[in-house]
Amino acid sequence: MRLALYVTCLVDLMRPSVGFAALRLLEATGAEVVVPEGQTCCGQPAWSAGDRPLAVELARKAIAELEAYDAVVIPSGSCADQIRNVYPRLLADDSDWGPRARALAGRTHELTDFLSAVAQLPAMPADFAGTVTYHDSCKGLRGLSIKDQPRELLARVRGLTLKEMADCEECCGFGGAFSIKFGAVSTQIVDRKCDAIAAAGADTVVGGDLGCLLNIEGRLRRRGDETTRVLHIAEVLAGEGES
Amino acid sequence: MGQARTWQAMRFHARAGEKLKDVVLQGALRKARPLFVAKRRKGLDSLAEDGLEFEMLRSAAKNIKNRILADLDVWLAIFEERAMAAGAEVLWARDGAEAARLVVEIAQREGVTKATKSKSMLSEEADLNAALAAAGIRPVETDLGEYIVQLAGEKPSHIIAPAVHKTIGEVEALFAKEHGRPIETRTSADIPDLAREARAVLRQHFLSAEMGISGANFLIAETGSAALVTNEGNGRMVTTLPRVHVVITGIEKLVPTLEDFATLMRLLPRSATGQAISNYVSLLTGTKRAGDRDGPEKTVFILVDNGRSKLLGSDYEAMLRCIRCGACMNHCPVYFSLGGHAYGWVYPGPMGSVLTPLLTGLDNALDLPHASTGCNQCGVVCPVDIPLPDLMHRLREEQVVRRLRPRSERLALKAWGWLAARPALYRWLARRAARYLNWLADGQGRIRVFGLLPEWTAARDLPVSSARTFHELYKARKRA
Repeated sequence: MRLALYVTCLVDLMRPSVGFAALRLLEATGAEVVVPEGQTCCGQPAWSAGDRPLAVELARKAIAELEAYDAVVIPSGSCADQIRNVYPRLLADDSDWGPRARALAGRTHELTDFLSAVAQLPAMPADFAGTVTYHDSCKGLRGLSIKDQPRELLARVRGLTLKEMADCEECCGFGGAFSIKFGAVSTQIVDRKCDAIAAAGADTVVGGDLGCLLNIEGRLRRRGDETTRVLHIAEVLAGEGES
Repeated sequence: MGQARTWQAMRFHARAGEKLKDVVLQGALRKARPLFVAKRRKGLDSLAEDGLEFEMLRSAAKNIKNRILADLDVWLAIFEERAMAAGAEVLWARDGAEAARLVVEIAQREGVTKATKSKSMLSEEADLNAALAAAGIRPVETDLGEYIVQLAGEKPSHIIAPAVHKTIGEVEALFAKEHGRPIETRTSADIPDLAREARAVLRQHFLSAEMGISGANFLIAETGSAALVTNEGNGRMVTTLPRVHVVITGIEKLVPTLEDFATLMRLLPRSATGQAISNYVSLLTGTKRAGDRDGPEKTVFILVDNGRSKLLGSDYEAMLRCIRCGACMNHCPVYFSLGGHAYGWVYPGPMGSVLTPLLTGLDNALDLPHASTGCNQCGVVCPVDIPLPDLMHRLREEQVVRRLRPRSERLALKAWGWLAARPALYRWLARRAARYLNWLADGQGRIRVFGLLPEWTAARDLPVSSARTFHELYKARKRA
């Protein structure tokens, strides 16, 4: 199987270690993993801002780059949701691109979904010493039904204990441009998340979307929490987050 | 829709800032939210006792409303005919102002000096209380929450819990002042006492009002009836004691049959308050008949459009399915950060973020379709399956097409899009950006103040982990 790893623009710029962790996990499944050269952004910011023509342009670009692979894997529920659910809608009436969008959507997977439903990790590449609480990101959870997949994977990591936080399915307040347009409202929402994390008593918060994680980490630190680690699930599973 | 209200919806961003700083409001919201969520959960769980399932019911409910909307004119004609046959009058209002004018005219013709009101959000659309007062007719809100809000000179902040923004302390102070008694220290255990106190005052109004004004949760075409779903019993007093009963409601409230009404009733109270059924469910048909002990001598339906009919057949038709349960706001992280008044018009929360621009004009509420994290909790809980985030998204697209977005946002998006379509240049710039961010960061890999994202770094750090991008490192690794 020839896989494309779509690292996402946020991982590229803000936390490359997530991309390398995903790469390591995918290679451990025995697949051939390629990082397509031309990838930039899936176009979700344009879509979310209401700029349909731009979202369509970037969707076509991504489809052309990714459709040659047997599968596309993305370490983000949000970007995977864009390709799986939004691309086919954006291009529904296009006789050429519509079918191509639908075909790509069917072969595109969020990382934990791919690792538990499509390919199998024969063994976990790393151990993890500590307690973890998992934040369900909205697009992954409500758009792609990512709920059990990350927990099944975490359960297989030696040394790791999962302690669920209250309201783990509650939004963290990131919402992409929302946190920039309505920063103060977003802060109010992420404060509730930070409270829930603190109450869970875990030493690490884990999630599948870097946007949420940057938001949570940024707020935890500003509130004076210097110890709770904030990691992407790929980092935990692959051991790249160990410091 | 006066100028003042329009202006308020425009000011969402500024208003949100005020609400976040309101400590009393924040306390009230923090208390209310988990109750709403837990009650609905329990209500839905109770469906299993009747061998029912939420998804199945919700699809049935959606179909009922879609069926009505597909031929709304025909169903409305049927309703009109049946309601008139039962002895009621049916009037039509193009907008809120016309609806208010019709109510005032009826009141004047009937020599009304005081009108009791059961909860009606449409009367808020019509600014009915102000119109009645201007004509020398005293409107008295009788829903406990509405009564509190009216005494305080405020507007409802929630469609089913109008006074959810107020604390017990505030209500106590208000009652002491308005009812002319000394103030006491109250806890939530005293809520029944406060309710009793309001009830004693309201009783006098129920007995003396010449006219009752109610909304309708549903209109039933088959029988020409209005259905009222209430918990306090005030709805019955309002609709049966006074000589005249006026029902003022939106044209989309129609359902074909009593059977359909029963299906929707499985969902409405459960979604709203978690109850399997509300304390009172009233079906009001026609006028007092010979031998009836109570009931109005005159019943008038005022069926209001106020922008609804133009949504038929549009991308937004699904919004007309709304049964006003409040579940979307009860599960909305944004609503419960701010309360309903931040939304600036009658309807708050996700349904308000869609409805306000649709009913008052896109450019009157530019922020509202963006006042969402896109989490889709609202879409998941909606009992009639309205894709609220999709509708907000569609409104955003319309704003872009009509060039209503700020110039800075349009330019930023354009520049970013242009770059994202040019991978080589994008990579080069991303590398520059990574170095720049890394240079801005302190020794712990955090940016504390970032001029490009001022709202972000006002309350959060921006964590930075590497001076090099993934693609840069990946290339280097492959070469090695």
